[in-house]
Amino acid sequence: MSSSANLDERHSRFELRTLLETSRLLIESQDPDFVLNNLLLITMGKLLVTKGMILIFKPGENVYYASRAKGRGWLKENDEVSVDFSLEDLDTSVLHGEKYASIFEQIGIERESILFNLKTTNHHIGFLCLGPKGTKQELTEREIEFIESLTIISSVAIANSRMFKEMRHINRRLDRKVHDLNTLLELSKDFNLMVDREEIARVFKFAMLGQMLIRTFFFALEVDDEKSIVSISGIKEEPTKEDLDALFDLEDVTHISEDSDCEFLNENNIRLVIGLKFQNEKIGVVGVGLRGNKQEYGPEEVNFLQSLGNLALLTIQKSLLLDERLQKQRMEEELNLAKNIQIGLLPDPLPEIDRFDLAAINISSRQVGGDYFDFIETPEKNHLLAIADVTGKGVPASLLMANLQSMLHALAPIDVTMSEATGSINDIIYNNTPSDKFITFFWGIISDNGTKFKYVNAGHDPPILFRKGSDEPLLLEAGGVILGAMPTMLPYESAEIDLKPGDLIVFFTDGVTEAMSPDQTEEYETERLKDCIRKNRDKPSQEIQDAIIADINAFSNNIQYDDITIIVLKVDE
Amino acid sequence: MKNFGISIREVENIRVLDISGELDAHTASQLENSLKALIDQNEICIIVNCKGLDYIASAGLGVFMAYIEDVRGMGGDIKLTNMNERVYNVFDLLGFPTLYDIHDDESEALTGFNK
Repeated sequence: MSSSANLDERHSRFELRTLLETSRLLIESQDPDFVLNNLLLITMGKLLVTKGMILIFKPGENVYYASRAKGRGWLKENDEVSVDFSLEDLDTSVLHGEKYASIFEQIGIERESILFNLKTTNHHIGFLCLGPKGTKQELTEREIEFIESLTIISSVAIANSRMFKEMRHINRRLDRKVHDLNTLLELSKDFNLMVDREEIARVFKFAMLGQMLIRTFFFALEVDDEKSIVSISGIKEEPTKEDLDALFDLEDVTHISEDSDCEFLNENNIRLVIGLKFQNEKIGVVGVGLRGNKQEYGPEEVNFLQSLGNLALLTIQKSLLLDERLQKQRMEEELNLAKNIQIGLLPDPLPEIDRFDLAAINISSRQVGGDYFDFIETPEKNHLLAIADVTGKGVPASLLMANLQSMLHALAPIDVTMSEATGSINDIIYNNTPSDKFITFFWGIISDNGTKFKYVNAGHDPPILFRKGSDEPLLLEAGGVILGAMPTMLPYESAEIDLKPGDLIVFFTDGVTEAMSPDQTEEYETERLKDCIRKNRDKPSQEIQDAIIADINAFSNNIQYDDITIIVLKVDE
Repeated sequence: MKNFGISIREVENIRVLDISGELDAHTASQLENSLKALIDQNEICIIVNCKGLDYIASAGLGVFMAYIEDVRGMGGDIKLTNMNERVYNVFDLLGFPTLYDIHDDESEALTGFNK
């Protein structure tokens, strides 16, 4: 009796120790294979059975597979079997006896076998299957209890390791997400420092290659209605114009199948094409090829591609705008230079002419303009006066104005009649300028000690002459057609008038008479100019000029559309 | 300028690129130029020793992607060695270990080439 009690006690101690060691081993292990292997070997050894296996449930397919199998005639490892367990069966811890004969048959094991359910509170993992003992003896209650305990510990360990695996998987996905975000963040910072479009496109390309694990890539942009490839990798032949048009016509996100209609996409194994928009207009297309890990492009990849693509697109767009601004700035600087040159062409200061009170002003509506006036002293000490207006405004007009200026200065010292000189100037301008460029031109020479004024008017607004004491002005109209319209066929007429103390002549360009009222319905016109001069005729020249300018500004509410030039010439009394 | 360095050694007829510092969007083109130059000279057995590499961004990884097929197509390879854990982690996250021969130590890569 005592020896049997002793044996019993030794048995219990052994079992407890096995349980303890196993549980420690299992809990520390994160490897389900190890856990299962251990469970199978311990139980087979403990019960002295020669056949045993672990069946693991595959939830998706509703079948079991043998993850571990020992013993002949049973399923081999990784064999699959489909078994009809009732819900009650799945809730039962130990399945053995006649009741489960059909189940054992389905699994293909002996009727005397026993199944231990591997389950946790929420999950059914599978079964530990053990064949009959070599001795054919039934399992004792105590043995069953021991194995049940082991099964519970193992199930928990497996559930843990599965959870651990899942956590590791989630963690990795999280790491990847963090990396993706970091890439975006870092590149947005890097792009901020870049203005070179080639560099931006190249960095975008490399980031894409690394991030997506690809080799084939292209990035096309449409700038000023011109589509072109800005960076490319692993593409056999660059897309043609037609290919590019087709690429821009694709949906914003297009997954490409292997037998696409587009030869360019097929040839290069492009798998995904993404359209990039700026202000709702598609101006970029990115295509990516087969991935090195053979994975498909999922929503996450598409998302990343779009984000990074838009980032690159915006950066390039920004650099284009910057270029445009720099170009504009440069242009403005050049125009300012031109304006200074043009201002230098006008007489400053005005010459002093004996017996005359003189004022003149030129106001350009733009940086450079087409109005011109000048005073040149001739070799005979006479004074040549000129005023002109080139059609159009801006740079073209100013070039022509400069041309006229140089001609006058070249002609002034030469002894030719004004009529002949005007004809020559007309021919030169006619021959050297486009047919839509004309110049209205008036010039005259004050001679004979300031008592004579000889002039030619080539289509210019006639200067207004107020004789002393007269309220009705005379217009200086003699001359001919405007310069540059046709070759000189008839000589230009010239006329000569006497100048007497108190006489007043106002020369002007059409910027004066064509100044517009703010509602743009009415022009200032010659009558208003005459009235203004009449009212102020007794003042010095400078004040008359100021009064005219003030009157025009009041009329137009200070809005100036055209260049304005005024010369006021008054004979001292 | 960003701290990135690259130098080339020759070991048993194999070109070893020692890269150090930060390989990112700004410095990727330096690596690209070095790789391109080697390939142009038909030097296609290349080891990139990352011992001094502190950081790598996706653009840096992209450079390897751009040239690996060319090199392998010519019968060579680009093997990567001596990465620190942080750098390896980035390679690993993006799936590089399945495509590239990555070794803990340069000598293993050399043995690989000499097989």
